[in-house]
Amino acid sequence: MDTNGKSWSSRKKWIFAAIGSPALIGAWWAFRPEKLFINQKVNEAAPFAADSEPQPIYTGKLEGKAHDTSGRATIYEAGSKRYLRLSDFTTSNGPDVHVLLLRTEDKALEQEIVKGDLDSVELGVLKGNQGDQNYDLPVTADLNQYQAVAIYCERFHAIFGVARLEKF
Amino acid sequence: MIGKIRAGLAFAVLAAACTFHAPLHAQDSMKQDKMQGDKMMQDDKMVHETKTLFTGKFHGKVHATTGRATVYQEADGKLVLRLKDFKTSNGPDVHVILVATKDAGDDANFLKSNTEKIELGKLKGNEGDQNYEIPARTDLAKFRTVSIYCERFNANFGAAPLEKF
Repeated sequence: MDTNGKSWSSRKKWIFAAIGSPALIGAWWAFRPEKLFINQKVNEAAPFAADSEPQPIYTGKLEGKAHDTSGRATIYEAGSKRYLRLSDFTTSNGPDVHVLLLRTEDKALEQEIVKGDLDSVELGVLKGNQGDQNYDLPVTADLNQYQAVAIYCERFHAIFGVARLEKF
Repeated sequence: MIGKIRAGLAFAVLAAACTFHAPLHAQDSMKQDKMQGDKMMQDDKMVHETKTLFTGKFHGKVHATTGRATVYQEADGKLVLRLKDFKTSNGPDVHVILVATKDAGDDANFLKSNTEKIELGKLKGNEGDQNYEIPARTDLAKFRTVSIYCERFNANFGAAPLEKF
């Protein structure tokens, strides 16, 4: 009797093990919980020669404020030189329109008409109200602080459009 | 006499208004700056350089996913998706797919829904820059979102809506 009971319980153990371990392995395989703590890092090179062409470093889409404005604003870096390029660009034509860099947190980015002084980096008079165009950035322009582009009509203090730039 | 003065005044006002508003309607100032540093090419020659076609930023809250997805076209026409500054959570059976939607929410379920998708391959790593080949003739006007997708659990880790660069 005694030996019989013993063998029964050990057989039960085997059955539990036979059912339990595949279930455990299955659960592990499905959830792979260790991946929560293990990272798989990669670092592939870009699909182009990084040093021969200007590289985009910041980009953002233009949105209209006082006037409909659309397109993309991208800052490129070519060696030590940086420039802003507007592509697929359209805004309304106007008098004395300039391209500026503003601080990201500048309240003027929310306004259509600016009251008071504007803290900005001047990039030049808008070359055309339509089409692709480039503007050189002053060497001193601090892109850590000035990460917004504004199309600004100085005569009427009107912000035609803005683009908030994000790291490319 | 009064009529003449009136006419003169009206003309002056009109002229002033025109000088003010003329630029608003003139579209003659079209500009087409060349990319700086571009090699100027003859029309009959192939342009040998990589073009940037689309780009977008990743978002995803359930599994925090960040970084940028950009589609490049290489000189030979091959399309490449590049994930840059990329980070997501590690997981089992995670794939990179293109889906025929404008964007995808955290709860997007591409296996059950009939959203068209294109498989680009298994996620090579949950951190870091990585490239994936996009099949030739993929219609990128239609497949506009990149998704990091866990097929085992049907979970969208993160998505990046692509916009024209």
